[in-house]
Amino acid sequence: MNAATIAVALIAWAFSIHIPIVYTVLGLAWLLPTLEYLGYRRGNENYVSMARNMGAYLITIYAIGGLFGTIITVFLAGLLPVFTDVAGALFWPVWGVAIVFGIVIALPMLGFYYRTFASLPPMRHVAVGYLTAVFMTVIPAMFRMVFAVINYPIGVEITKSSSSIIGFNLSVNLGQAIGNPTYPPLLLATIAAALALTSALMASIHSWRGASSPNAYYEAGRSLGAKLAIAFGALWAVFGAWYLYEVYLYSPTVAWSIMGRPPSYLPSAFLSVYQPTYDLAWLLYLIIALAVVDLIALVIIIRRPSKTAAALTLMVSLAIVDASEVLNGVAHMPYALVPPLGAAESLVNSYGVSFAVQVAHTLQVSTFVSTLTPLVDLIAMDPAILYISAVGFAFFNVLIFVVIYYALVHRGK
Amino acid sequence: MNSLYAPLLVRYVSATGILVHLLLASMFIGTITLAVVSEGIYAYAKDARWLDTAKMFGRVAGIFLGTGAAFGTLVEFGLVTIWSNFVSIMGSALVLPFYIELYAFLFEVVFIVFYEFTWSKLGRGVHLALGALTVFGAYFSAYNILAVMSSLSMAPPGLIIKQADIGGLISYVAVFQSPTQVFNMYWWGAQVFIWHGMLAATILSWSIVASIYVYKYLHGRDPHHLAILRVMIPTIAVLTAVEGFLLGHDQGELVLSADPLKLAAMEGMFWSGLKVDPLLSFFAFGTTNHAFWGYYTWPASIRPPAFLPFFYLVLMVGLGAAIGGWAAVTGLYLLFRREPPTWWFKLGYALGPAAGLASIGGAVTSETGRNPFILVQNLGGNPPAITGVPVSSIYNPTITVSPLLAAAILLVILAIPGLTAYMLYLATRPRRAGGEP
Repeated sequence: MNAATIAVALIAWAFSIHIPIVYTVLGLAWLLPTLEYLGYRRGNENYVSMARNMGAYLITIYAIGGLFGTIITVFLAGLLPVFTDVAGALFWPVWGVAIVFGIVIALPMLGFYYRTFASLPPMRHVAVGYLTAVFMTVIPAMFRMVFAVINYPIGVEITKSSSSIIGFNLSVNLGQAIGNPTYPPLLLATIAAALALTSALMASIHSWRGASSPNAYYEAGRSLGAKLAIAFGALWAVFGAWYLYEVYLYSPTVAWSIMGRPPSYLPSAFLSVYQPTYDLAWLLYLIIALAVVDLIALVIIIRRPSKTAAALTLMVSLAIVDASEVLNGVAHMPYALVPPLGAAESLVNSYGVSFAVQVAHTLQVSTFVSTLTPLVDLIAMDPAILYISAVGFAFFNVLIFVVIYYALVHRGK
Repeated sequence: MNSLYAPLLVRYVSATGILVHLLLASMFIGTITLAVVSEGIYAYAKDARWLDTAKMFGRVAGIFLGTGAAFGTLVEFGLVTIWSNFVSIMGSALVLPFYIELYAFLFEVVFIVFYEFTWSKLGRGVHLALGALTVFGAYFSAYNILAVMSSLSMAPPGLIIKQADIGGLISYVAVFQSPTQVFNMYWWGAQVFIWHGMLAATILSWSIVASIYVYKYLHGRDPHHLAILRVMIPTIAVLTAVEGFLLGHDQGELVLSADPLKLAAMEGMFWSGLKVDPLLSFFAFGTTNHAFWGYYTWPASIRPPAFLPFFYLVLMVGLGAAIGGWAAVTGLYLLFRREPPTWWFKLGYALGPAAGLASIGGAVTSETGRNPFILVQNLGGNPPAITGVPVSSIYNPTITVSPLLAAAILLVILAIPGLTAYMLYLATRPRRAGGEP
């Protein structure tokens, strides 16, 4: 196993746990006040109770999501130290805004929202919930900007430098970075996906319980959850298609990997530069097939409570989210930042082909991973460290699910 | 202002953040240990009040872990954004303890939730084992983070510091000569630093809690509160003795060999060249004729601030000795089932604040004393050449912290302890149904 594969595997594993959790956090942050609002407007106490019950779940998974966020940061710093260093140095306002709004302000507001269900006037409590959701959305709003930059590093400026050991200096124009064309569809797709996943999970759990002991509470959660999941899933598909279109225009490697063939505008001279490491078109087709299965299961759930459909929705929805994130992340390889075609041409014209090739090589994951990474070297020397790590993390993953069970299910018995 | 230093405002902001994080982390370590000790006493003595005490400290520990972890995320982002070039040094050399710390963090987070939600659902032995695993996670987490902090003051053996301009953003990297040398992060010098830090965290947190119980006992005369003090105060006395006489002595010897400039600053040896210091010579070598390099031997550009003796000698050593002395005398009274004179017992109100000041003294001595370098190395010679990675080079070259931004960051830093205090109030306020507190 080479160093780049080790690094990508570890980071992908942490992401695959982190992402569904933070999607659920974001989805619940918007769904809870919405459920409350609907409950108060329609006089349906079930919706209000549902919001309150799921509030406890939100706090627990927020903490676990934060834990995995820390794990990802350590992995990034340990496995891609230069990349993480540069990302921190150049995009510090992005990280700063995310931490202040998304954690320092949102965390106490979440606690306040949860503890004031019965003590604040209903509509004021709903307003607190939506305000909390707005602050929580700042985290994906900021982080997705960086994801957009690695698709298409508009705003990142490269200047040739003889003193720099990589041959050039880096700087960023954040104003231009915000105008990244892949950013709006990526952010909107993320929010829609978060709401779709959370609604699907809500439909799944209420369908399962409703099948065992039918009552109006489970009925309400099952039906509303499934309908919202389909609606937000449709929005996700629309924003996802928009995102793919922008990626096709601006990020040749990602588009090639996802669609299975190079963009038609790519000059043949650049084919070898932009060729992706993996052809992931099969994963795109798999995601589409899973989405169809999920849609069928959700339609069944709308019609009647079903344990089979509930289990299917739970597993397929999580699989779609993880597969989509893996698809989006791994499609960049071999690059950590995909060099834009215009910039490549400009570098060739300004500094010659060899400098452009040097820049392209420097932006590859393998360069970042094999530069100054003792952990990767150690793992490469003794792969058992990686396997022991994997077993340890798998053990704790299982324990985390047991914790959620004890904290939320067993506790109530 | 010297070019080897980062801007003063940023250092003040970061120092405040680190001190708050140390306080929250220390309180978690101390309170979860107290919860498990209390439950152990309950299991042995079957006194229900110890179970109430254990449950209360379990809740309190959970709050400290939650808010401490949120604050840890803030510190982590502070490293990535303000001290961004520390990240490449961390990744290139110091990563192993961070990686192992992830497991410790998982231990803490997972087992404290089990511990909290299974008080009446599991057998006492199993529940105690869960508590012990949480305590292990807490100390193991501290162990690894302190290994990193140790390396900042004393570069581990085999570490090579290199100047390297990468992209105009990174100017220094640090690497080990071979991959297996990453385990040198845990060399014996680091062990002394680590255990010194872990004991300090326990003494600090237990002293804060003990001072509260001294106050509560003297105002309520509750025998259970005296029983709690009978456990805590002799323990503080023993830990302070180990800290001062054993680990402190070893730590001093390490500073003498690894960073004689820091030693000169700490001890207030404000002279130039070699000069005999009989008192320090006696403590270090058992003789009175050993000469030490003075503070002014080295150029001003690499000298740490001259205020260190106040933090080291007055706050850390002075208050540490006072804490140890008071705890030893009081502990003897309590172990012999007697109560010390009230005026003496009342001095215990100051135990927590004194431990806090002593901890600040220790932290400032350790962290400011190594300035303006991290990964400090003694290259030898006469006088010894002291070097390392300049603090200015790990500062993000693209960031400028204005007074307004610094004030905003400080507000954020202080908001989390405020939230912690409010949550502690909610978790420990007196209940109508009785029980602890």
